[in-house]
Amino acid sequence: MTNILVTHADEPIGRRVVKNLYHDPDVEVIFALGSGPPPRKFDAYLAGNDPRVTYTRLDLAKHRPIRDLFHSAPFRTAEIDTVVYVPRHGAGASAAAVPLIGGLAERTAESRLLLQHCLETHTIRNLVAIGSAFVYRLPPGNANHLNEDSELNLDPNVMPEIRSWIDCDMIFHSEVHNDRLRVVLLRVPTVVAAGGYVYLHPSLAGRPGVRVRTLGFDPICALVSDKDVARAVRAATKTPVSGIFNIAGGEAVPLSMLARWTGHRSLPVPGPLLGMLDLGERVLGIESRLGAGGGAQLRYGFTLNTDRAAAELGFRSQYRIGLARAGDGALRLETASV
Amino acid sequence: MSEIEFPTPIPEIANPLTAPGRALGRDPFDDLAGPNPLEEQLDQLEARQADGSLAQRRVLKPTAKQAAIQEVTAKQPAIEKVTANPPVIGKAAARPTPATQSTTRQPVARPEDALPSRDNLARLSQRRWATTPPLAEIELPPAKGLADRLLNPNERRVLASLAHLVEGDAPYDRFGYSPEAMKTTFPFFHALYRLYFRVRSEGHEHILDEGPVVLAGNHGGLLPFDAAMAIIDVALHTDPPRLVRAIVDRWAGSLPWINIFYARVGQVVGTRENFAKLLDDGQLLLVFPEGIDGMRKTISHRYRLQNFRVGFIEHALRARTPIVPVAFIGSDDQSPILFDVKPLARRMGIPVAPITPTFPWLGPLGLLPYPVSYRIIYGEPLRYHERFGPEAADDSRLVRYLANQVRRTVQLLIDRNRK
Repeated sequence: MTNILVTHADEPIGRRVVKNLYHDPDVEVIFALGSGPPPRKFDAYLAGNDPRVTYTRLDLAKHRPIRDLFHSAPFRTAEIDTVVYVPRHGAGASAAAVPLIGGLAERTAESRLLLQHCLETHTIRNLVAIGSAFVYRLPPGNANHLNEDSELNLDPNVMPEIRSWIDCDMIFHSEVHNDRLRVVLLRVPTVVAAGGYVYLHPSLAGRPGVRVRTLGFDPICALVSDKDVARAVRAATKTPVSGIFNIAGGEAVPLSMLARWTGHRSLPVPGPLLGMLDLGERVLGIESRLGAGGGAQLRYGFTLNTDRAAAELGFRSQYRIGLARAGDGALRLETASV
Repeated sequence: MSEIEFPTPIPEIANPLTAPGRALGRDPFDDLAGPNPLEEQLDQLEARQADGSLAQRRVLKPTAKQAAIQEVTAKQPAIEKVTANPPVIGKAAARPTPATQSTTRQPVARPEDALPSRDNLARLSQRRWATTPPLAEIELPPAKGLADRLLNPNERRVLASLAHLVEGDAPYDRFGYSPEAMKTTFPFFHALYRLYFRVRSEGHEHILDEGPVVLAGNHGGLLPFDAAMAIIDVALHTDPPRLVRAIVDRWAGSLPWINIFYARVGQVVGTRENFAKLLDDGQLLLVFPEGIDGMRKTISHRYRLQNFRVGFIEHALRARTPIVPVAFIGSDDQSPILFDVKPLARRMGIPVAPITPTFPWLGPLGLLPYPVSYRIIYGEPLRYHERFGPEAADDSRLVRYLANQVRRTVQLLIDRNRK
């Protein structure tokens, strides 16, 4: 039996992970952390005298709260042996994209503290972290196939949000060969949830609105369903391997089409103008996501090689992503099991 | 003072053209009448090798892999070396040869030896190559739209068959290929193929029906119409139709609109990961190993191949893929470059700043190709992978040597067919 801690369980992907693990008979206790109140969907999980799911509000980016948690009686009683790090990705992450905590991006601070406490807590044997596939350096081209060994984007001018993903990636990567703690890092591309919600895309995440893309470019975006991400996390908790794995679904669509599917207006802007827009945003301190850094992700696309995940985690995508007519007659981006 | 003992040379490396095993691929010109332009050099080579002087200078220090090859070849009688089954090292032995793969119409499962030995990998072993259905199995939908009306039923069948490369009803494949975009652009390039360039071609039988193949050809002309003509030619002359995925330079991938167009018609930027993935999927690749150097040849160097890159050899060996040499005749005449103003090209960040009889005098129109007649000749496949196995991809000297062999073969194809 496994006892699992899940971070940011109040956000969409975290909720999906908790739900998936809840229905796993091998999981005994789920210790869910979140920065907000518990989601309503957790009411059923939290009901009863001895629920399998415990929810705690916590700021993961600060040292004191997380230290108190790891030394608290409920945590020790739960005997957590697996930690699932779901990064912040919902509405809170999109506004003022990367707040700094002690000079570090929030996401970076979280992953650093979490890894530190996982290493110091002897009951914890497994750490599964969700990272972003936007950490790769994108070579020119509308669609590039990338595998886990592809080069990371270490350009100093990379947009801050992607920089924080890269920092997290490298923090977890540094402990992949740890003998005591098994570290699994899942690099996921744009995550699509039922209803057309998009997460972890540097320019499309957040509420529908106007988004720009570089004129003359329409990069291919790899997609994965949130349900597949939860399945991958579950597979990673069960398999005795460590390392970095790409997780992606079967679909890949151009950025303009994905923006249309998700209710955004995609506005093609000439590259030089986009650079000026991005510069203006930086100078004025605006984080509108309009310019989205003017980075390579608006010009060059990628798909992911998931062979390693298939081979070592046994993960294969099971959910198709596409437009479906909902009950109200509107076409929405949906995920469906195949 | 003891004499230095040189190791026994690998026959094919010391003397590639006369080696008994013909391991470097069958020379496509053996069956042709007429003098071999290399015969004279060959005689000199043999004469010098007989007295040992050249053998000692040219011998490569054998790696462990090459030593194993020597051992195997030494144990085999000479008659076996010219059979269709040359000695295969290591894992290569367990893999079916492309010749046997091409005889079956069913999608071929990937060999299990390439997979990690885990129980949960069973599904991986069922992976199939990207295939298209034969034309006879295509049910032609009713014609709709201008593109359908411009094409005859057979050509529409070809396009319908190529659409099967995209899984399910997805509009794009992983590399951005769009059957709809292909359908839209096909009539235009088909008209160029038939009427403007008047393409004649031969040797299509050397292109396997399925499985990975690398077409390696010469590159010429300012605009890559040679690749476009190869795409149309292969699609029209193979059944099941195969889509040529031309490997394009990274620079082209950074050009607005061009990058989208290339991707939608199935072309892919030449990164290692892309190349390996396409071969892994069993696709048909077209590479121009000369790279940009091929495009900027001046008129005095036309049809003289430049140095070949070696990456395609490494990937072909690793993926156990045959290499089909291709000669494009006409591409170097479509936009003859009188001068290449290299300082200007460097300053503008472009690969070539050409002066042609029409460019820049006629503006952008001067870049359009002249209506030259094209010939495309596909040579016999070079099956280096059967002889050397995937481990040979790590031997940089051997890889360079094999790249030069491909270059020589393409050059011979050009020289023979230009006359």
